[in-house]
Amino acid sequence: MVKVTYIAADGTTTTVEGEAFSNVMQTALDNDVAGIVGECGGSMMCATCHCYVDEAWQGKTGARNDGEDDMLDCAAGEVKPNSRLSCQITLTPDLDGLVVHLPEAQY
Amino acid sequence: MPLAPVNDSVGIDALTLDPYPIYRQMRATTPVVRVTSVGRTFLTKAAYTKMVKDDPETFSSDDPNTPMKPAFQAHTLMRKDGAEHRRERMAMQMAYTPKVIKQNWADIYRELTDRYLDSLPRGETVDLFGALCGPVAADILTQILGLGDADADTMQRWSQQLIDGAGNFGWRPEPFAVSDRANAEMNAHFDSLIDYHKANPNASAFAIMLNAKDPIPKSQIYANLKIAIGGGINEPRDALATLIYGLLTNPDQLEEVKRQEAWGQTFEEGVRWVAPIQASSRLVKEDCQIGGFDIPKGDTVMTIQASANRDEDVFENGEDFVVFRDKNPHQAFGSGPHHCAGAHVARRTVGEIMLPALFERFPHMTMPDPQAVKWRGFGFRGPINLPVTLN
Repeated sequence: MVKVTYIAADGTTTTVEGEAFSNVMQTALDNDVAGIVGECGGSMMCATCHCYVDEAWQGKTGARNDGEDDMLDCAAGEVKPNSRLSCQITLTPDLDGLVVHLPEAQY
Repeated sequence: MPLAPVNDSVGIDALTLDPYPIYRQMRATTPVVRVTSVGRTFLTKAAYTKMVKDDPETFSSDDPNTPMKPAFQAHTLMRKDGAEHRRERMAMQMAYTPKVIKQNWADIYRELTDRYLDSLPRGETVDLFGALCGPVAADILTQILGLGDADADTMQRWSQQLIDGAGNFGWRPEPFAVSDRANAEMNAHFDSLIDYHKANPNASAFAIMLNAKDPIPKSQIYANLKIAIGGGINEPRDALATLIYGLLTNPDQLEEVKRQEAWGQTFEEGVRWVAPIQASSRLVKEDCQIGGFDIPKGDTVMTIQASANRDEDVFENGEDFVVFRDKNPHQAFGSGPHHCAGAHVARRTVGEIMLPALFERFPHMTMPDPQAVKWRGFGFRGPINLPVTLN
């Protein structure tokens, strides 16, 4: 299992255990974490799983995937350098303890 | 494993009139069932519909045997998979983003909505389906797509003619003759706008597609515009009509919605309760199993999101309109690569602009006879009339 902490726009902090090699979006849905919708199921087609990777973790989550930039432009919230679609962040074991921040709205 | 059971008794007329009791029964007894009259395997549980849509490799949209191709005179992105689908979709997606709507269009949408509200006679009973829902959805789409002076009547007619052609599973010649004429009219209209959009780059879908660094072929730009016309009017129209009906027949909820200004939540519940797009087809590319039944390669499964949205495993009191649900993970916009490209637009225009504007303008409106409202549709569904007394 890989521990992930989600910090909502209002500061609400939720830490859950995700299955290794699941992704940050699916882990949120599996654990009823509010603030991530993930309406397209991880197909990079809806931009409703937008998150900001905590600066301390940016090196480990790596670069955006092909096509992710374009879809991030479709997100409701402000896009920052640490913006990612959480469906594109695979929970590899070295991400244990990952912290992501959530935008105010996903649509 | 066995093949899914067969249902010989349910016909398309019953599904068109009122599919919900049928789906409820299917969820309880035959959640995977081959419906003879439709020639499809119906999937009525939320887990199955989502699983199918999220797995385009096994359940393909690329079905050559649908009337969509002759109706649109093109192999459209709706019926493509993979990289080709993504390229054509992303070519216009920027026109449908929340930021573009907010920055470029929200004021125009408010003005258009107000113009229709201004024309409605206070104190009288008016069919809002024809007087508001359809035309305002059409006018807004004209702006989003960049279709110049195409008026609401013309846009609605094109839309319906494309839909009638695409739904012509009996392959009769007349609907295709009608859609051919609509295609000729649309092509001529699009041709007349190209120079303008090239000379005046703007945030409309047409301009964005034309002025892209690496544009998709003109034939696919036109096909995309037609898909948006075919898929971008009836759905917001039906969603708005459903929402008005839901609120006016639940006055307690309406009061609370107004108090909390919970229009966005209302929108989500309306499209869950009666999804404007009720069912979708996918072609099975390899032998597989769903719900304990063998689904053979070559079969066509139908995801019934109308039913998934009322699935007892996901929703309490799913048959009822209940705005204030804890969670509302409906599938009205689908899932997977073909997740509705217009979802953000619909949420912003119908949920944030049209609905509150109507209830602010006529805070005491009533529905004199809810029984008089007729609902129709199997593939697409909504009220077909909406008599409301405006006050």
